[in-house]
Amino acid sequence: MNCRSEVLEVSVESRQVDEAMLALLHTILLHRSTGKFHYKKEGTYSIGTVGSQDIDCDYIDFAFVRVSSEELDRAMRKSVGEFKDALCNSGSDGVGQISLEFYQKKKSRWPFSDECIPWEVWSIKVNVVSLANEQERQICREKVGEKLGEKVINIVEVINRHEYLPKMPTQSEVDNVFDTSLKDVQPYLYKITYQITDSLGTSVSTTMRRLIKDTLAL
Amino acid sequence: MAHFDTEYQRLETSDNDSPPGGDDMLVHVPEGAKSQWHHIENLDLFFQRVYNLHQKNGFTCMLLGEIFELVQLVFVVALTVFLANCVDYDILFANKLVNHIQHEHETIKVTLPDAFLPADVCSARIRDNVFVIFIMIIAGVFWLHRLVKFIYNICCYWEIRSFYINALRIPMADLPYFTWQEVQARIIEIQKEHQMCIHKKELSELDIYHRILRFKNYMVAMVNKSLLPIRYHHPLLGNAVFYTRGLKYNFELIFFWGPGSLFENEWSLKPEYKRGGNRLELAGRLSTRILWIGVANLLLCPIILIWQILYAFFSYTEVIKREPGSLGARCWSLYGRCYLRHFNELDHELMSRLSKGYKASSKYMNCFMSPLLTVVAKNVAFFAGSILAVLISLTIYDEDVLAVEHVLTTITLLGVCVTICRSFIPDKHMVFCPEQLLKVILAHIHYMPDHWQGNAIATETGTKFSQLFQYKAVFILEELLSPVITPFILIFCLRHKALEIIDFFRNFTVEVVGAGDTCSFAQMDVRQHGHPAWMSAGKTEASIYQQAEDGKTELSLMHFAITNPRWQPPRESTHFISQLKGKVQREATSGQQGALPENHLFTSIQSIQSESEPHSLIANLLVGPPSMGSFQFGREGHAAPQISSAGGSDVASALRSLSPLSTSQDLRGSYTSTHPPRSDGTELTGARGMAGSGTDARTASSGSSAWEGQLSSMVLSEYASTEMSIHALYMHELHKQHSQTEPARHTWHRQESDDSSESVPEESEVPHGLPRSATFPSASARQHPYQEQAALHSSGQRRHGGTTVSGGPRAAPRFSRLPMGGWAEEVQAVRHHETVPEEGTEEELPPQIHKLT
Repeated sequence: MNCRSEVLEVSVESRQVDEAMLALLHTILLHRSTGKFHYKKEGTYSIGTVGSQDIDCDYIDFAFVRVSSEELDRAMRKSVGEFKDALCNSGSDGVGQISLEFYQKKKSRWPFSDECIPWEVWSIKVNVVSLANEQERQICREKVGEKLGEKVINIVEVINRHEYLPKMPTQSEVDNVFDTSLKDVQPYLYKITYQITDSLGTSVSTTMRRLIKDTLAL
Repeated sequence: MAHFDTEYQRLETSDNDSPPGGDDMLVHVPEGAKSQWHHIENLDLFFQRVYNLHQKNGFTCMLLGEIFELVQLVFVVALTVFLANCVDYDILFANKLVNHIQHEHETIKVTLPDAFLPADVCSARIRDNVFVIFIMIIAGVFWLHRLVKFIYNICCYWEIRSFYINALRIPMADLPYFTWQEVQARIIEIQKEHQMCIHKKELSELDIYHRILRFKNYMVAMVNKSLLPIRYHHPLLGNAVFYTRGLKYNFELIFFWGPGSLFENEWSLKPEYKRGGNRLELAGRLSTRILWIGVANLLLCPIILIWQILYAFFSYTEVIKREPGSLGARCWSLYGRCYLRHFNELDHELMSRLSKGYKASSKYMNCFMSPLLTVVAKNVAFFAGSILAVLISLTIYDEDVLAVEHVLTTITLLGVCVTICRSFIPDKHMVFCPEQLLKVILAHIHYMPDHWQGNAIATETGTKFSQLFQYKAVFILEELLSPVITPFILIFCLRHKALEIIDFFRNFTVEVVGAGDTCSFAQMDVRQHGHPAWMSAGKTEASIYQQAEDGKTELSLMHFAITNPRWQPPRESTHFISQLKGKVQREATSGQQGALPENHLFTSIQSIQSESEPHSLIANLLVGPPSMGSFQFGREGHAAPQISSAGGSDVASALRSLSPLSTSQDLRGSYTSTHPPRSDGTELTGARGMAGSGTDARTASSGSSAWEGQLSSMVLSEYASTEMSIHALYMHELHKQHSQTEPARHTWHRQESDDSSESVPEESEVPHGLPRSATFPSASARQHPYQEQAALHSSGQRRHGGTTVSGGPRAAPRFSRLPMGGWAEEVQAVRHHETVPEEGTEEELPPQIHKLT
């Protein structure tokens, strides 16, 4: 509970799924990334630069800005690709949800592993529509573009609110807050998960984990 | 040209100052995570643990307690197995001679070790007995589970311990001397610096309570709305309540945390339960789950039963032998605790409240001792006592009597018998004033069905009250029976309520930012859940389905505001509180001048005052620390006018502090012109001074910093309970007045049900089942005019109810599924018709309800 959650909903055609997802995820990550930290003596640090680039979408009348980091883009494309495949193969009515979760790690004492505590979760609910003819596609192209524009403004509004962000870490703790594996950019630690259809039950593993945790709890 | 050069030079120097990528780029200083307490993932669990550690008086006490619990478990199992398998009872009972050394003389002494079987025989016997092995394996698994849990808990609580020490700066040794309110104040204080909760910059008291009591609030609300199947109508036993720990555990398992429960995690209801769409399907699923859990209970029943019996045997046998009277003693039943609990009331607050009411309650229940039983008990005690006396005298004369077979047994049994009988014989010097006692009880327990007042001597009231306040023996018996009965309750009763439960959770769950999904009743919002008959008329917009019964919302709000004076309620609630306090204050003022007969505060305070028993309320309330000077002043007021005026101004300031919103100017004027109180009003002045000074001290200090001395905080919490008692009495008084004199359309459905079933037959004849004494209080005389009035009204209402039946058939099925009365299930049929004029509220009812039948 101790985390903010934002929900975005979009309806797109199946070939637009990955572009739409990338547009939204990249927009969020643009605002949740910093340049690389260079720590110095006396515990100070300077922040490297981050480039940004405009990306034009092929299937949507839309362009978005993303951090110009190939690695980050590759990671995004991979997750979104998996999501899209799962969505297409599910055979259901094409409802899915992809969520981008920002978390921080907390070191804990021996018997427990490190905790990953989320502080912000963005869930994007996707509804895949199928269109009959080319004319509808054209309309959809524009409409989805407009919708995505609105969502981007939404995202920026949320991010502009003065709310909790993890504090800037010292050198030893930087891995607990930021993802330092990338060469050119340093986003907050994030995790992308997806879920196909609005299946009522959660997965078996989470249920089991909860069961064990519950029995252990007082 | 030279001019151009200089321009160029300047540019170059500026370039030198900040070369790209050089050392002088913007430099940041990391804040780092200074504390490990920021952004705690599971705040629910965290606050619960903080509370638990506080209640268990620190880490060491808790650790020891848990270790002993583990040891106890091993001990119970080991002792049982040993007694069953390793003791040669023939030797113990001397049916067989000790055979290790054959003495010629019969003077050998049998020692305890003689009765033990040798180790190899013993272990062989255990090995052969499959049942014993089975039990031991189960106990072993259970114990290992407990052990793992214990280790896990210790690790968790170690963190909490360091939270106390490092963040709250409360050393463990001092923890027992801190009140929860102080700990809480510190938590709120450090939230600003540590940001434990990331949603809000500052936590409020209510946020913490919501998290600790999330599920308890749901349970209280469900009991309040009579949703849980814990009250039964039995053809032989009449109305009975069955609610045991096992049942409670199962309820919680089903609703809150078990596999597949309604809650996703500690803080949020599963999203599908929030939507009305597939409620029937969800109800079906819930009902199957309940069935499976019921079956599991049935299968585990023998094991649980054996455990309960063993545990009860080992824990109570010694107590019963030592003081058999304890079986005749009473305790607050589990149902009572749930029924009497406010929303957002922590365990220790509830327990201290109930404990304060204990004496008065047991005295009150003694009023209902059956005279028949007394006569029988007296005679049985006489016969048993005579035999006992003879045996004892014989023993004193010659102790060889003891060696005669069964003499010791007889003496013990007779002793127990006499003690039990004695507990049925009322004290000769006792004076019964049930009406007064009930008022005193009410001052502490805060909840009571309307019809009890004025009917304190009715056996009906007595039996109802005994459901809240049962015999310890009954409690133990119920616990023993629980494993057998629980599965059947789950399978046959709870399952039918699945749809109502689903509806309840959907309708009464709100998502609070920073606290997650909570029971909407726990918001204590008078507007949403207020009951018009409880002073929230005009403010409440709740339909009957949404109204909390018995004024729970209003009383809870008052209670919470009083126990947490620094809590800032929402605007509506502030208005309600200030209005109520203003009323209390106004009536106190008029009470000082003339003590009008229909003055509610006067009657309520008088009821405290006229309670002549020193052990009861006054003793609890008035015997405060010596700092309560104003009380002394008030008492001596009539003797010394100048002191009285001092006391008066004290009271004035106190009462001013009662309601900060009221115009204090008026008050001061009225008080400075106060004449020395009349002699008949002295007691009252004392009481008011006491109440006032209590609130005065509290509010005054609440304005100051939270880091109060420990003593003053203790004192403050005592005053808080006094203030709450007075407000509770006042609200009940007002509610009674309201429902009797003004049959508003909001209240009648409730009042009718109560009056028609209780007070009408009551009024026509002399109360029965009570050994009335000559000093029967005048209070009952005072009640009579009201009762007649009430009877009049109720009959009028019934007629009214009859005329409006025309619209009934449509509404009846709708409401028949909505549990409403706390106590009045038997008259629900009447109520369905009464609810018809409430059609205006139809829109507010959840739309799903219409489709119910």
